[in-house]
Amino acid sequence: MSAHSTTENTGEYIPETYIPTAVSHGTGELWKTFWILLGITIVDFIIYFSWPSSMPMMARNITFICLGIVKAYFIIGTFMHLKYERMFMILMLILPAIVFLGMLIFGLLHEGNALSTY
Amino acid sequence: MSSHTAVAETQTQWAGGRSPFNVSYGKLMMWIFLLSDAFTFSSLLVAYGAIRFSYSTDLFTPWPDPAQVFNHFPLAHGIHLPLLFVSLMTLILILSSVTMVLAVEAGARMDKKAVGFYMLLTIVGGAMFLGCQAWEWTQFIGEGARLDQNFFGFTASAAEHAQQLGFGDKVHWTPADRVPGPVPFASLFFIVTGFHGFHVLSGVVFLIIIYLNVVFGTYERRGHYEMVEKVGLYWHFVDLVWVFVFTFYYLI
Repeated sequence: MSAHSTTENTGEYIPETYIPTAVSHGTGELWKTFWILLGITIVDFIIYFSWPSSMPMMARNITFICLGIVKAYFIIGTFMHLKYERMFMILMLILPAIVFLGMLIFGLLHEGNALSTY
Repeated sequence: MSSHTAVAETQTQWAGGRSPFNVSYGKLMMWIFLLSDAFTFSSLLVAYGAIRFSYSTDLFTPWPDPAQVFNHFPLAHGIHLPLLFVSLMTLILILSSVTMVLAVEAGARMDKKAVGFYMLLTIVGGAMFLGCQAWEWTQFIGEGARLDQNFFGFTASAAEHAQQLGFGDKVHWTPADRVPGPVPFASLFFIVTGFHGFHVLSGVVFLIIIYLNVVFGTYERRGHYEMVEKVGLYWHFVDLVWVFVFTFYYLI
């Protein structure tokens, strides 16, 4: 059994079947991330019900989006293991997403008034 | 000297030295697929934002307030409980993400029994989420929402909106009115949550296939649990998308 796995991992290098050995980082960080995500969701819940009507709704919406991005950081970084990957792999995935989203949001904000139904 | 020749050989195979980014082919392709899927979902969500914005100055067909629409909870008929049910759905999905990542961690330790156990919990979580979404859809459809119709027109929030714009006393608004509202509210809800729910459904199917392989010892024989890691990446992505669907549909 173990002989089989060692030949696969360290023997002749075949790109299609090459598997870097998986490393366990323990479960402590995973549970910590869960409590952070749960905490942020509870903060969302509290803000939703206790936002004073005297303050602008735009500020509330920006807060929700920022909290969403924080949640995304923890899901991608810890759960999807991305923060342990190579820097250039992170850039390969994050940069196109930022460029695409940035252009899309800028475009639709810029042309948004033209869509108005009233 | 011998190590130099080994490097030269690998370079002819990948034409780029060792496996790029030190991840396997399958995992890299899963990441690239998820990137493209992220483009699709962000397009849908940005389209939602733009269409919703286009109604922001519309006095007669104002965009409905989600708190007035998604305010039901099972076994609590007629009680106004906004956000509670979707928060429960979020909790279920986050918990299933945790059990998934625990399965991946157990896989790194080659602990077959623990991988199977945590994957089973993840499948249960996914199925619970799908059940919740089916219930939510049933409520919404029961109130007259279709892909091409929406009866959340003039609501209390619309009246408030009219007050802010200074037209409050010109129209009579009652919250109980069920008149046609903006159609994209319903169609975008069905398209985006439907697209996400379909991802969850296919994720559950993938999880069941991988779970059966774990139980039958396929990965034990193969010597590694990388398939669990790959299906885990997909599952966490589904959770990630839900975070933004939750933010844009229910919170904002």
